[in-house]
Amino acid sequence: MAMMVDETISDFDCYASLSTPTTTITTTTTSSSSEDDHGCTWNDWSPVFDWDAFSGGDNFQDLIESMIQGSGNCFHNSEEDSAEIMEEEEEESGDSNNNQSEDINGLKLVHLLMAAAEALTGVNKSRELARVILVRLKELASPNGATNMERLAAHFTDALQALLEGAASGTLHAKHMFSPNYKDEHHQGDVLAAFQLLQDMSPFVKFGHFTANQAILESVTHDRRVHIVDYDIMEGIQWASLMQALVSRKDGPPTPHLRITALSRSGSGRRSFGTVQETGRRLTAFAASIGQPFSFHHCRLDSDEIFKPTNLKLVRGEALIINCMLHLPHFSYRASDSVASFLSGSKTLNPRLVTLVEEELRPIGDEEGFVGRFMDTLHHYSALYDSLEAGFPLQSRARALVERVFLGPRITGSLARIYRARGEEERCSWGEWLSGVGFCESNISFANHCQAKLLLGLFNDGYRVEEIGTNKLVLGWKSRRLLSASIWTTMDIDL
Amino acid sequence: MFHAKKPSTMNSHDRPMCVQGDSGLVLTTDPKPRLRWTVELHERFVDAVTQLGGPDKATPKTIMRVMGVKGLTLYHLKSHLQKFRLGKQPHKEFNDHSVKDSDRATSLELQRNSASSSGMIGRNMNEMQMEVQRRLHEQLEVQRHLQLRIEAQGKYMQTILEKACQTLGGEENMALPTRTFKGIGNHQGGLIPDISAAFKEFGTPPLTFSSFQDLNICGEHIDLHAQSSMGERSSSFDGFMNLSNTTTDHNLSLGKKRSSPYNTSNGKSPFMWSDDFRLHELGGGGSCLGSNNEDDHQIIQMERSCNPEIDSVSDIYESKPLLQDEKKFDAKLERPSPRRAAQVSSLSAQGGRNSVFG
Repeated sequence: MAMMVDETISDFDCYASLSTPTTTITTTTTSSSSEDDHGCTWNDWSPVFDWDAFSGGDNFQDLIESMIQGSGNCFHNSEEDSAEIMEEEEEESGDSNNNQSEDINGLKLVHLLMAAAEALTGVNKSRELARVILVRLKELASPNGATNMERLAAHFTDALQALLEGAASGTLHAKHMFSPNYKDEHHQGDVLAAFQLLQDMSPFVKFGHFTANQAILESVTHDRRVHIVDYDIMEGIQWASLMQALVSRKDGPPTPHLRITALSRSGSGRRSFGTVQETGRRLTAFAASIGQPFSFHHCRLDSDEIFKPTNLKLVRGEALIINCMLHLPHFSYRASDSVASFLSGSKTLNPRLVTLVEEELRPIGDEEGFVGRFMDTLHHYSALYDSLEAGFPLQSRARALVERVFLGPRITGSLARIYRARGEEERCSWGEWLSGVGFCESNISFANHCQAKLLLGLFNDGYRVEEIGTNKLVLGWKSRRLLSASIWTTMDIDL
Repeated sequence: MFHAKKPSTMNSHDRPMCVQGDSGLVLTTDPKPRLRWTVELHERFVDAVTQLGGPDKATPKTIMRVMGVKGLTLYHLKSHLQKFRLGKQPHKEFNDHSVKDSDRATSLELQRNSASSSGMIGRNMNEMQMEVQRRLHEQLEVQRHLQLRIEAQGKYMQTILEKACQTLGGEENMALPTRTFKGIGNHQGGLIPDISAAFKEFGTPPLTFSSFQDLNICGEHIDLHAQSSMGERSSSFDGFMNLSNTTTDHNLSLGKKRSSPYNTSNGKSPFMWSDDFRLHELGGGGSCLGSNNEDDHQIIQMERSCNPEIDSVSDIYESKPLLQDEKKFDAKLERPSPRRAAQVSSLSAQGGRNSVFG
């Protein structure tokens, strides 16, 4: 079953024929994006082509057909394992301006990605074809490419490659796929630099932290002892601003005693900013420096990462807060069993408040399958890349660093998860899960919402914050929702 | 203040339109009888709530049980409890701004003397005004707090970077973001160009206030002129800038004074977010940094040697050639933005590595 790969040169006139007034794909959009349609305003993203025809579920044959529509060249597409990859050429070179060719190139990349995804999992699965497409993609896209789309495509290509190999060798369930230890691969200095950059360039980290902290502050105004259980403390930066706020609060009893219990995982290797113990030491020193009574505890999870509430040490009279940051851009994915055990375990402890920050994904119908979710993930990260670019258009190296260190591995993890989950029931968000388990929504206060708006005002004005329901703030870029922060409680306010 | 506020609306003894029911409740005679929260009733309410442990712990049901007042429905209690809870909040925020008692008394008088029918409307207007005022005040508070919190985060971030620099610095000359761009001349590895390249074009954004605090040339502070045009990040950021200039006493008190060169001669800690950041010193600083300390100390040069002001924040991000030509420069040295450059490489070099980190 030898593969014939002929590189043929063809004109991609089909795109030109479908063109509408062009804007660049990956940068700020001109068309009005409807605020309600938060998920799939493809036209914002790529107005040159009609995306609706391509959102998942299409027959692979048709896809290939349409890709060569109008090219007039020979193109073999067969159920057997021979296929040819079309070659695009500099047909634009003479007449089109840079924008248009950028669009075209971006489109090609997207199509190739979609084709690869389809080849991997679609009706006419073909590993060989997928492999060929990925080879082609690797040639076209590089992680240091000039445009967002190129770099994005490069990372997605790597992710798909990993899936392909994993599927082949059966190592798809290896932990490293889901929570890639980019911290090990990258030099520590890289990771630190990227983290600093990420914080400076985008509001994601601060949004999640500050929203949660404000909710916590409001709920403990009368308490003398506060106990926070943090699912994934990372480097502990969230608590620096909480401590500052606690120290300087004017009402209620003076600075309450703060106790933080951080969960640590045994198997995930050394993290970039040090271990949980180091974080604890750092926080303790910081607390001492600002006069915050503080103690730090460490709760080790077993290798299965299941949380057992009995491992916690609780003190009478303290206000218990559960803090669950998932999916901030520099976090790695945690296994859902672990998260589920944590959240349901905390229910038994009757916490005062649960703060949850997670990424906001568009709910995908089952019929769209892997490809649909793949495209949605592509859209999600494209928006993320765009948001970084819009704020800092000239600092492409800085952005490339952040993308390489954090977002790339996240993409790999994200695809691995949806690949693994294909065919299964679509997983709901953790927020929905919480309300299903019995937590009640707790109102986001005016101050919190106001703070989020002010924070975003410091960054590019493409960011926006929405209040969903009564207990959730969602940070979005243009029309795409990216990160949500919600607060929950076990008490019912009324009766 | 909550108590002070409510009586004005709960005064019933002058209102001819109210009737006293058998149950002891005062109801109005409008088409839709509304419960009037008299002072006594409210006192009982507050007693019940405190008995139950405060407005957040108490529930309408339990309050009803404790109060034991006939004719009082859950509906009444729900809405009153909610108002009470909301009322408690601004109460605390308004502490500093609370109206004096005498003023309060006069406003009560006014309320009492106004026509009874418009009294109700007046009360609503008053409440609305209070609401608006409260919101505005809250917004200002939020703004102030946000700034402090961002600073706190930045300060903490620095401790991370310090630690990392110490552990990773070692023999390698690591180029790390905030403090200094250490000399890269000796490095062999491939990672430095990456980070340095990233930072060369990046610089310090104006968003992490803490980064500003690091900017220090020859012991001077760096001035950020609030008037600088900010491009699209104008209004709220300007607000912040101005806010920062006026609220300079928000000095996060550090337990120990760091003996780093970042403490200026006048002893202010780097976290003073104040007017006296002077950028023009950078001009002089640039030259003092530059020429004498070339290869040995591997100082990153300042771009804007003579420009007293940062004209616009957006300038920082322009990828202009970042170096003046006259400065000799080690080829391997990557060029950071002026902001990064403004950090005390020279001082650190002079003082030896340890002194940088206090």
